Amino acid sequence: MLGSQSSDSIEYEDQTPSREVWANGVCMKTSEVEAKLDEGNIQEAESSLREGLSLNFEEARALLGRLEYQRGNVEAALHVFDGIDLPAAIQRLQPSFSEKQPSRKGRSRGDSQHAVSQHAASLVLEAIYLKAKSLQKLGRLNDAAHECKRVLDAVEKIFHQGIPDVQVDNRLQDTVCQAVELLPELWKQAGCYHEAMSAYRRALLSQWNLGDDNCSRIQKAFAVFLMHSGVEAGPPSLAAQVDGSYVPKHNLEEAILLLMILVRKFYLGKIVWDPSILEHLTFALSLCGQTSVLAKELEEIMPGVFHRVDRWNTLALCYSTVGQNKAALNLLRKSLHKHEQPDDLTALLLAAKICSEDSHLAAEGVGYAQRAISNAQGRNEHLKGVAIRMLGLCSGKQATISPSDFERSRLQSEALKSLDAAMSLEKNNPDLLFELGMLYAEQRNLNTALRYAKRFIDATGGSLLKGWRLLALILSAQHRFSEAEVVIDAALDETAKWEQGPLLRLKAKLKTSQSLPMGAIETYRYLLALVQAQRKSFGPLRSVSQVGGDGVNEYEVWHGLADLYSRLSHWKDMEVCLGKAKELKPYSAEVLYTEGVMLQGRGQAEEAMSAYITALLVDPSFVPCKILIGALLSKRDSNALPVARSILSDALKIEPTSRMAWYYLGIIHRVDGRIADAADCFQAASMLEEFDPIENFSSIL
Amino acid sequence: MSEDSSISEETNTPTTSVSQDTSTAETTAITTSAFNIHPETPSSSSSFNTHLAIQSLSSILTTVSPSLLSQDQDPAFYLLHNPDISSQVSSLLRLPDSGAGDNNLCRWFYDTFQSSEPQLQLVVLRFLPVIAGLYLSRVALKKPLAGFEAVLLAIYAHETTSRAGQAVTVNVPDLSYPSIYHESRRPAKDNDAADLNLAVISPSLEPHGTVRSTRRARIVGVALELYYSKISLMPVGSKIDFCEFCKVWSGQEGHELQDDEDNVEFQDNQGNADKESVITEGRIALPWELLQPVSRILGHCLLGPTRDEELIGSASAACRSLYSRSLHDINPHAILATRSLLRLSKMALDPKNNVDHTEIPMSDVISL
Repeated sequence: MLGSQSSDSIEYEDQTPSREVWANGVCMKTSEVEAKLDEGNIQEAESSLREGLSLNFEEARALLGRLEYQRGNVEAALHVFDGIDLPAAIQRLQPSFSEKQPSRKGRSRGDSQHAVSQHAASLVLEAIYLKAKSLQKLGRLNDAAHECKRVLDAVEKIFHQGIPDVQVDNRLQDTVCQAVELLPELWKQAGCYHEAMSAYRRALLSQWNLGDDNCSRIQKAFAVFLMHSGVEAGPPSLAAQVDGSYVPKHNLEEAILLLMILVRKFYLGKIVWDPSILEHLTFALSLCGQTSVLAKELEEIMPGVFHRVDRWNTLALCYSTVGQNKAALNLLRKSLHKHEQPDDLTALLLAAKICSEDSHLAAEGVGYAQRAISNAQGRNEHLKGVAIRMLGLCSGKQATISPSDFERSRLQSEALKSLDAAMSLEKNNPDLLFELGMLYAEQRNLNTALRYAKRFIDATGGSLLKGWRLLALILSAQHRFSEAEVVIDAALDETAKWEQGPLLRLKAKLKTSQSLPMGAIETYRYLLALVQAQRKSFGPLRSVSQVGGDGVNEYEVWHGLADLYSRLSHWKDMEVCLGKAKELKPYSAEVLYTEGVMLQGRGQAEEAMSAYITALLVDPSFVPCKILIGALLSKRDSNALPVARSILSDALKIEPTSRMAWYYLGIIHRVDGRIADAADCFQAASMLEEFDPIENFSSIL
Repeated sequence: MSEDSSISEETNTPTTSVSQDTSTAETTAITTSAFNIHPETPSSSSSFNTHLAIQSLSSILTTVSPSLLSQDQDPAFYLLHNPDISSQVSSLLRLPDSGAGDNNLCRWFYDTFQSSEPQLQLVVLRFLPVIAGLYLSRVALKKPLAGFEAVLLAIYAHETTSRAGQAVTVNVPDLSYPSIYHESRRPAKDNDAADLNLAVISPSLEPHGTVRSTRRARIVGVALELYYSKISLMPVGSKIDFCEFCKVWSGQEGHELQDDEDNVEFQDNQGNADKESVITEGRIALPWELLQPVSRILGHCLLGPTRDEELIGSASAACRSLYSRSLHDINPHAILATRSLLRLSKMALDPKNNVDHTEIPMSDVISL
């Protein structure tokens, strides 16, 4: 700032002759006065001004000070201002204003008198203001702040009821506005953050008759200060709290409020667009995870302010952050349309990622990933590995619903190839280890999967639960139950109790698989106690905002117990547990399926069948139901066999590794007399028997 | 050692919460006096603690001599701001086995933080960036870490007691209701409706006696939250340490924003192979519970009131690395936060946005 000032003054010196002063209708060239000032002769300069323009002492001093300030001689200006007795001048101004203040109607009568005293006030206040500015430029920030504060204190004394709109001299108003803006800035520069906070609040909560631009600048500066100063502002004073209006509790709230007000001012056409406001708001709202509020703000901005593709892409990020991936994908489809910006790498990658999580979108995701690969060039080359990884994930997901075996194995090998290629580009990304482990596990290449799962746990230091769960499931698929239990116990040691739910559920299932029902029941009992404790200690807050996938899921506990009792054929206990599970999740294919199993176990085959069919209506791709329907039908007369066969084939299309489906398909073939086919199916079933995990691998995600 | 920490914290609840109060009061005292006047030592017992801490530190370091005690300057302030001490402590911390449970320096940090002396706790927090940075980066390397963990747990426990385990929430304002800064035609809102936009910025805290690996990020994240709340008192060197570790954590070279291609002045010049290998070593998982306090600290470094050239340079490099990492993770939340920080830091440097509106109009005609 000082630098620019000095360059300014050089400029002025070049054109010195053109500078002049006006007062009382007289004009005067300043060259003579300036010469005297340069000699250090303030008194003479002052008297020549007084004579030339018929001014009083204070007026002459104020003019001189301003002249010196403009010439960049801040030290000299300070010297000149020091000669004025400012407190006395302020004292003199006070009564004249406060008397006239109430008589707003009688304006014409006292007008000239007003003009005079306002003029005097403006002169004095400007002098103090320039003194503060001079001190600021000299780096005496604390003194500057105190001077600047005197301007505002004086204004408050002079205008008891705030500054009236109509009566005020423009120049006075300008000085007031500048002082209001300068004061917090000075405190900030002086390192007095608490004074700065209260100066900002004073600026925004008192009546200064600020202009829109002026006020907005202060609001923005305050918001930034609140966000980034690292000093807690504390609540605003009680006097400012109008009854019933919203009072922000801490910095972040106050900053967000101010930024939102600024955005609104822009809608109303009061200020020009400032892109930094939106970025500040983006940062603030993403800090508190409220990107859906941000999305609302973005949607409200009028078209034409920024490019629609930018808006769509940012909106997509907002929605995806809060898990609304469908909305995000729809927006990305628009922005990636060939007439918009089809090559935007971030958008392509995000779209591919969203698609990779849903098997029905995976094919679309493959397209995005391929486009991303071809666009990852030049400065974006570093993202090539990410794009290849997305291709691998999408292909792997697409394979799960592919209609033919040939297609499936092609996609699976493509997925492996891509992930391996990504691995060579992103050596230090542990996520890839996990994804490769999952892919191998789903293909039942369990030894390789095991290796990747172990490497993933090492690379992440065991900090991610999904690594432990994958390892345990792979071990369980290899029927190494006791080792799986060791893994689960190790994972439990590394987990705080509220995150132990999924692990304990696995442990209970491991016990069930090992035919240790008492151990399983014990574990479930502990889980239920955890559910109770969780409900007590977190209350509604937890359930709304935090529960996510972490907490203990009560439904799963009851369902697991029902499953356990069904294996033991304790139908009564099972019914109780199932009833509890049903209360929590009335329309779940899983519950209906388990209910069917219970009915079948009690010999009510027809009722069981109807339960299975209802379950399929809820979730048409629920494989266990298809298998049991196929099994039930295969026991009926031969007319039902083709139906049974088709429903089992259907099940195998969705889940080719389902041992039971192969088994029942074999039975149907045998009944129908196709012995060779039956043998193939039985062989498949017996091979698969070794590789079933206690829980589907996809349950980890 | 780590077991001790939780137990002593839990039993000492009342005393620690009292000391927290005094610490905020003193914070104010220091900010107002900036860096030129040192605050009065509050009581004789605290100065006793400080001297004890300096004495035990002098047995670990070579540059600290007990002669400090006779100095006029406030010793805790001296510990916090002396560059020789910090560089020596940092280099000791960076030794390969520094995180071990029997490490003298870690023990000193632990004891000093447990003294519940706010000034001394600031000294410990000053080195939090290095401790947390090394700790998280070394986890996958299977080096001894019990010493670091004890310090981090002590800080976590302090924050847990001072917050009484409560979550920190933010009520996102709704402009259709009036506030202190604006008017609205709608009547003031009921308190019941106020919960609708409640956002949790830091979930509730449970006491932890050991670092469980799945809670590691959270424990460090909470320690960083405490660091952020004292950040205006931290010397620039500490913040620069933090920025350096952000780069290591991200495991990425900084890359520019996609939308402004012309601006190349920030490109890292030192992107040599040597650095590459360092970067791949320390990469860590960056869940939001860690990234959120990290972003807040970087926000302060980039946009806070103290404009230090070197700090801004290293904070924007850190920010570029984290942005790049967020793209690699395709993490929309992280992309939004780091991208807006990067854009803001660019705008802040643009002279177009730095017009001084408090300057008077300079005209050749001066009128009265």
